[in-house]
Amino acid sequence: MKLQTLSVISALMMSTAATAGELTIYTSYEEDEAAAFLDLAREAMPDVEMNMLRLSQGDLVARIIAEQGNPQHDLLWGFAASAIVNPQIEKTLEPYAPDGVKQIPAQFRSPEDKWFAVSGYMAAFCVNNERLKDKGLEMPTSWADLTDPAFKGEVVMPNPASSGTGYIQISSLLQMMGEEDGWAFLDKLDKNVAQYIKSGSKPCHAASAGEYVVGASYDMRAIKNINEGYPITMVIPSEGSGNELEANALVASSDNKEDAKRFLDWTVTPEAATAYGKWKAIVTMPGGEKPQEFLDAGLPQDTSDVLHPTDFAAAAEDRTAIISEWEKRYER
Amino acid sequence: MAAASVRSRRRPRLGDRAVSFILSGLVIAALAVFFLLPVLAILWRSFDVQGGAGLGNYATTLSDPRIWELIGNSLGMAGLSAIGAVTLSYFYAYALQRTNVVGKSILRMVVMAPLFAPSLIQAQGLIFLLGRNGIFNRFLGFEIDIYGFWGVAIANTLYTFPYAFLILSAALAVADARLYEGAIVMGAKPWKIFRTVTLPSTRYGIAAAIFVAFSLSITDFGNAIVIGGDFSVLATEIYNKVIGQAQFHLGAVIGVVLLVPAALSKLIVGYISKRQHSQVTDKSVALQVRPNRRRDLAYGAYATLIAILFLSIPLIVFFASLVKLWPYNMTLTLEHYAFDVQNGTEPLWNSIGVALATATLGVVAVFIASIVTMKFRTPLSGPISFLSTLPASIPGMVLGLGYVLAFNSLANPLNFLYGTFPLIVLLYIYYNHAQGFLITTTSLKQVSATFDEASTMLGAGAMRTLFKVTLPLLWPTLLGVGVFFFMRAMVSLSAVIFLITPQTQVAAVSVLQLADRGATNQAAAFSVCIMAIVLLMLLIVRGILWLVGARGVTLIR
Repeated sequence: MKLQTLSVISALMMSTAATAGELTIYTSYEEDEAAAFLDLAREAMPDVEMNMLRLSQGDLVARIIAEQGNPQHDLLWGFAASAIVNPQIEKTLEPYAPDGVKQIPAQFRSPEDKWFAVSGYMAAFCVNNERLKDKGLEMPTSWADLTDPAFKGEVVMPNPASSGTGYIQISSLLQMMGEEDGWAFLDKLDKNVAQYIKSGSKPCHAASAGEYVVGASYDMRAIKNINEGYPITMVIPSEGSGNELEANALVASSDNKEDAKRFLDWTVTPEAATAYGKWKAIVTMPGGEKPQEFLDAGLPQDTSDVLHPTDFAAAAEDRTAIISEWEKRYER
Repeated sequence: MAAASVRSRRRPRLGDRAVSFILSGLVIAALAVFFLLPVLAILWRSFDVQGGAGLGNYATTLSDPRIWELIGNSLGMAGLSAIGAVTLSYFYAYALQRTNVVGKSILRMVVMAPLFAPSLIQAQGLIFLLGRNGIFNRFLGFEIDIYGFWGVAIANTLYTFPYAFLILSAALAVADARLYEGAIVMGAKPWKIFRTVTLPSTRYGIAAAIFVAFSLSITDFGNAIVIGGDFSVLATEIYNKVIGQAQFHLGAVIGVVLLVPAALSKLIVGYISKRQHSQVTDKSVALQVRPNRRRDLAYGAYATLIAILFLSIPLIVFFASLVKLWPYNMTLTLEHYAFDVQNGTEPLWNSIGVALATATLGVVAVFIASIVTMKFRTPLSGPISFLSTLPASIPGMVLGLGYVLAFNSLANPLNFLYGTFPLIVLLYIYYNHAQGFLITTTSLKQVSATFDEASTMLGAGAMRTLFKVTLPLLWPTLLGVGVFFFMRAMVSLSAVIFLITPQTQVAAVSVLQLADRGATNQAAAFSVCIMAIVLLMLLIVRGILWLVGARGVTLIR
C-alpha cells in the first residue's frame, strides 16, 4: 500500500510513452480471452514488457480518436474489422504483412496489408429455458420466430449505435433481405423488443438471469453462460448469422515497431491459432479443433454453414447511414 | 473599522492582503488548468464543424425533436429524484440531529452505503431485488417491472440521498436554542416551530442539497444505463454519441445542453443563499434535544424503515458475491473472491493509492478555495466561488473526455501528465470539488464572523486567525471532506473511463469490466472489497480521532 502511494506521487516525474522493449496493446477481445492470449504472448516473447488495455469496441474507437494527437498504443489486437476500416482509424495504421499471413484467406485481410483478422464472432440468441416454459412459449429458431406476438416484451437486443454486436445483427438482416424488406422486418421485430441494451453481451446476461426470455447476443457469450450453469439455450438464427472479424494491426506512430512486428508475427503462428480455437467460434487460420463444450452448446463443427456471407466492406461503409436510420425508427 | 485602526498601529507583517492574493491566484490557476481548460476543450469541440467553427452541431442536435424529449426525461427524473432524496433525507437528518432516536451512529452509517460502492453495483442490487426475475418477483410473486423512468428515479433517489443527507445533517446540527425557547414561550406548536424556525434556518442547506442531488441525478450515467431500459436521458445520450459513434462534437453539444438546467439550479441556490445569516454566534446557546417519547418513536420507526431500505442493497450484493450462480444456484462459495482476472487485485491497490492522494490534496484544495472565498475576500473571490461549485454541473464522463482532449494534446505543456496517476488524482479532485467545497463553506458559514473579528481585534493576522480559530473549529469537517474524497476516488467510474491506461487501472473500472463480461457475482465480490476498504478507512480515521480524544465528532458530514 505504501509502495503504491509512493508510486502515485513519484509518477509525476514519469512519462508513460512506450519505450524499446515495451509494447502498449489496445484490444477488444473479451477480458478473459484477452488475458489468456496475452499470457501465451508473454511466454513467446519474455523480453518484451506488454501493457494491454481492454475496452469494448465503441469505447476503444472513441478513445483512439480522442488520442489521435498523441497515440499511446503500438498495436491494435482483436479490433472489429467494420471499425478498423473507419478512415479515422485506418489512417493511423502502417502496412505490415507477417510471414504467416498468407494462410489467412484474402477476404479476411486488408488489400494494402494494413490489417488481418485471425478470429471472429457471430450473432446468436440466448434463450432462457425456465422463463420460456413459464411463459408457455416455443423455442425460437430464427429471427422470424421472434416477431411472433407471443414474444411481445420478452426480447432484448443490443443498440447498434453503441454495440458492435448490435450492428452486425441489424446490418446482416438488411444485407440478406434488402433495404426495403429488411426495414419492414425490423419494424415488426421492434414491436416485440422490450429494451435495446447498450452492450452486446448484456442481452445474453439479461436472458441468463431470467429477466427476459430471449437476448440477442453473440456465440461465445452464449457458450460461456451455458458453461457457467445458466439455464439457457444457444440459438443460431436459421436465416444466417451476422458476423464480425477481429483484426490485428501495426500503429504507424509506434516507437517500438520491431517488437510490435514480432508480436504480429506471433499472432499468426500455429501456437496462437490453437489458442484461438479454444476461445473463438470463428478462426480464420487452419488448425485448432473446436472444444467439445462449444459443440455441446450447439455450435456446428463448420461454422461457415450457419454464417451469413457478410459483405464487410459494405457493412463498414453503410455504418453511419444504417445507424441514423435505425435511430430515426426505433430509438426510444 | 475598529479592527483596521488596531492593526494600523502594529508593525506591518507580510500583508494579509498579499497572502490572500497569492492564495487566490493559486486556487484560480489550478481551477483554470484542471477544470476550466478541459471544459473549454469540450466547448471548443462543440463548435468544431467541418471547415471551421460554427453553430452547425447545435443546429443539428437541437432541431431533432428527440433531444427535447430527452431534456424532458432528464428534468422529470432528476427533479423527482432531487425532491425525493431531499425530503426523505431531511426528516432522516432531523431524526438524527433533533430527536433522541436510538442507534444514531448505526443509522448514520447505513444510509452512507451508496457512497461506498460504484453506482453501477447499486443499480445491480436493485435489479437483484426488484428486477423481473428479482427476489420480489421470483420468490414473493410480485409483477414489478423496474426498468424505466421509475427505476432510474428510485436508483438516483437512493444514490443522491447520502449527499443530501450530509449537507442537511450539517445544517441541522447547529441551532440556536434561544430561538426555540422563544418560540415555545410564545406558545407555538411543534409544527409551527418547525415551519417558522427550523425550516427557514436550514434554507441554505435545503437549497444546496437540492442543487447537489439534482445535478448528480441529471448527470449520472451508471444508474440510467443499468436500470433505465429504453428510458433515455441526456447523460446516456452522450454515451451513445461518444462511445458508440465517436461523435465527440455532438456529445460535446449535449454536454453543453446539460449545463443549462444545472446552471439554473445553481442561480436559484445563489439567490436563496444571499439571505442566509450566520446561525452560530458567540451568543448562541447550543440546542438540547428535549425528551419526547412519541416523537422519538415516530422518527425511530421512520429512520429504521429508511435504514432497512439502504441496508438491503449492499446486503443483497454481498449475498450475490457469495453464491455460485445468482439466482439459479444459491450454494454458498468463496470462489468469486479468487480474482483470477487480468491484473488480479492490482487495481484495488492502485485505487487505494489514488484515493489517498485525492483525499489529501483534495482537502487542501477545497479548504483553500473556501477560505479565499469566505474569509480572505479579494476581487477573485466571486469567480473562485463560481468556478468551485461548477464541477457538479459537469458530468464526470464529459469532464473525463475534456481531460483527454486537453491533456493529450502536444500543445499542452502539461502533456506529460497524460496516462499517469497524478492526472487521475487531479480529475477526481476537480470532479468532486463542488461537493467538498459546498460542505466546507456550509460549515464555514456557520462559524460566525464574530470569532474572526474578535481574533483580529486582539491583533491576530488573518493567517493566525485561520490556524488558531478557524481550523480548530473546522478540522472535523475537513476530515469528513477527506473521507468523502477518498470514497469518491474509490468508487467513481464514468469520469475516469477515458483516462485509464494499461498502467493505471483502477478498481471501479474493474467492476465495470467484470459486470460487462457477465461475471455479475465476481463484480459483486469486487464491489464488496471496495466497500470493505472504504469502511476500513472510516474505522482507521475514527480510531485516530478516538486516540487524540476527539470524541463525538461526526466523521462523514
